[in-house]
Amino acid sequence: MADYEPKIVAFLCNWCAYAGADLAGVSRLQYPSNLRTIRVMCSGRIDPSFIIKAFQEGCDGVLVSG
Amino acid sequence: MHLAWVSSAEAQHFVDVANKVTESIKSQGPLKADELQMQLSAAEMTVNEEAVRWLVGKEITITSKGDVYGRKWDVNRYEAFLDSALEKVYHKNLICLAIKADFTSVREISKKTGLILQRVSYLLADLEKTNMVEFMGMQDSKPVFAVI
Repeated sequence: MADYEPKIVAFLCNWCAYAGADLAGVSRLQYPSNLRTIRVMCSGRIDPSFIIKAFQEGCDGVLVSG
Repeated sequence: MHLAWVSSAEAQHFVDVANKVTESIKSQGPLKADELQMQLSAAEMTVNEEAVRWLVGKEITITSKGDVYGRKWDVNRYEAFLDSALEKVYHKNLICLAIKADFTSVREISKKTGLILQRVSYLLADLEKTNMVEFMGMQDSKPVFAVI
């Protein structure tokens, strides 16, 4: 199982984690390419149904980061 | 599922979180969404259910300012209440989906959903009262149900 590449949907807040991810990119820090980023204007915008929808569409994990 | 707080200045923290989450999901193996279709649909129906959304939305008010009668609820008590309400709605949705998938007797529903027999018949009675499920009569001396 160790060599499979999971699909992870990442909901990132525009003001916090998205900017953090951006900075990580600018500073050339390496991070896994499994994350599919969805930028939201606030992590409070995430509805529980988004997360279930993500699983239904076949992703293996969800990360909500604010 | 992971929830993490990352400030815009914490690039390294974001990288750590991304690594940790990816590792943890890798170790859990792929999610077999097609096998969990019924459970996912039931969960989706549950989070979109009106009463559930009211309960979630009112939590802060009721635990910090109090309900309409001025009673302030303890957070743990409210959460326990919310959990059991969520579980009940989820189980009811599972039962409805099982019936729709042609598992119509109590025993079949129990087998399909993994819920114990008592729980299924208790919730079926509830579903009947709220006109969501209908008793269709006996078949091979087993009661069968249909979703309205």
